[in-house]
Amino acid sequence: MFRALAVLRIVLLANTVGLTLYRLDNFTHPNAGLALLALMVVWTIVSIWAYDAPRRRVPVLLVADLAIAFATLLSSPFVKGDGFSATVPGFWIAGALMAWAIHWRWMGALAAATVLCATDLLIREEISQTNYGHVFLLMIAGPIVGYMCGSLQRMAAERDRAERAAAIAEERARLARAVHDGVLQVLALVQRKGPELGGEGVHLGELAGEQEQALRSLIRQQDTLQTPGEAPVEDLGGALERLGNRRPPVTSVVTPGAPVELPQDVVGELVAVVGACLDNVAFHVGEDAPAWVLLEDLGDRVVVSVRDEGPGIATGRLESAAASGRLGVSESIRGRIRDLGGSAELFSTPDTGTEWEFTVPRPTE
Amino acid sequence: MSGDEAIKVMVVDDHPMWRDAVERDLIAAGLNVVAVAANGVEALARFPAAKPQVLVLDLQIPAPNGVEVTAEVVRQDPSTRVLILSASGEQSDVLDAVKAGATGYLVKSASREELLDAVRRVALGDTVFTPGLAGLVLGEYRRLLDEPATDDGTPKLTERETEVLRLVAKGLSYKQIADRLVLSHRTVQNHVQNTLRKLQLHNRVELTRYAIEQGLDDE
Repeated sequence: MFRALAVLRIVLLANTVGLTLYRLDNFTHPNAGLALLALMVVWTIVSIWAYDAPRRRVPVLLVADLAIAFATLLSSPFVKGDGFSATVPGFWIAGALMAWAIHWRWMGALAAATVLCATDLLIREEISQTNYGHVFLLMIAGPIVGYMCGSLQRMAAERDRAERAAAIAEERARLARAVHDGVLQVLALVQRKGPELGGEGVHLGELAGEQEQALRSLIRQQDTLQTPGEAPVEDLGGALERLGNRRPPVTSVVTPGAPVELPQDVVGELVAVVGACLDNVAFHVGEDAPAWVLLEDLGDRVVVSVRDEGPGIATGRLESAAASGRLGVSESIRGRIRDLGGSAELFSTPDTGTEWEFTVPRPTE
Repeated sequence: MSGDEAIKVMVVDDHPMWRDAVERDLIAAGLNVVAVAANGVEALARFPAAKPQVLVLDLQIPAPNGVEVTAEVVRQDPSTRVLILSASGEQSDVLDAVKAGATGYLVKSASREELLDAVRRVALGDTVFTPGLAGLVLGEYRRLLDEPATDDGTPKLTERETEVLRLVAKGLSYKQIADRLVLSHRTVQNHVQNTLRKLQLHNRVELTRYAIEQGLDDE
């Protein structure tokens, strides 16, 4: 911030030096004018150096800065005569004003602008339209710059905070991975060794197996977590993983390894449908029956398959149920998928069990 | 099972309890454990002398990690089979290891019988897929399709391969797939193998291209 101001100060100084030398004949006391000019050059250099280090930006410096601008302004009637049109420092005083704006925000800018403008108006014999214009601009521009400096600094602070938070989260995830790995190793070992011990060991092994799968699924969900965006989208893969943890039945969920983002309501509906299918497996095939859920992302559509190895559904049974007005679970499943604009296919034979395949188009923006 | 004596296995795992458990199971089943290692450095140091046919490898080991070890041993001896035995569901790691040349993947909670079966099958040159790995591979092929094609070298699955891979991902065994598609068990196995081989080849081509672009081939 103060670096930019340093550049501005040099430009302003060059402007004032140039104008002064060019219109030296306007001065009633040219030597005093040159002395003031030298003061401005020296102060510009000193102030650039002083503002460069944050620890030197003390109130005394800012007050001195404004005081010198004020003094050079005040000297105008004495060195240029009463009827002067341009003040001695001219626009150079803006340097001090901007320093106040940067350091003390809009309040500082307003105070500095008030002091300088009031002085400028008071030392003049008569106030022209142009004078008024300059004063007006200073009064407006000062506080605006101050306000924007405040905003910028707040934004920079927020960005720093966010970056720190992200770094911490990343480190946490790394540590969690190491912890999870150790826990998974032990759970897998208990699961494997338990049955060999017999008796209680069998039960322990089962418990370890359940926990292992639950933890594994949690880790996968964590990997596909996303920052909450503006659109209410959700990762269907993560949602199905969560569903697969619920048992019975014993479900293995297979996802493509990258988030499959869909609008929240579509995800909710698909999860409910798959949940209904799994309920069916638990009810008709058995609580210990295995079930498989496969999620595929084909770009313009997603395909979800649910499979079991139960007795299957005898040909014609669904049709006869529908014909006699008993719209069973399968019809409600089809209806829900239809509402999503997709299609549901059921393959079922007594040999291969039951397999649902749902194809749902990805809604366009 | 006959012929097991011939299978030379190396076990790489940084958890002593696991390394011992796997080693015991393999020895009890009559396999020949020629070396064990606790990290990537040890694994690569002992590999040339031990000359195992099968490397049973944990992905999460002290550096160089399982993916790098896989790539290096397959480079040294392309006939080596790598069976990944992973505890965490590190999806991208598993896919990377497969692309680097591993032909089998098993989660650690698999039973002793599943492990022995997997080691034997991998030694024979079969690929051992879990439904989860099949889903990852399917996803990878689809992601490759979506990428802006740099050339025509992007691997694609044939319709049959896609069909077979989808059935693996849905939890069907090779035998069930063979029955359903009226194919021989061997044909199913070949289709699955091809899906991996194409990814591995593509991976090597990409690595070479990268090396040339970076000027690493000058030496």
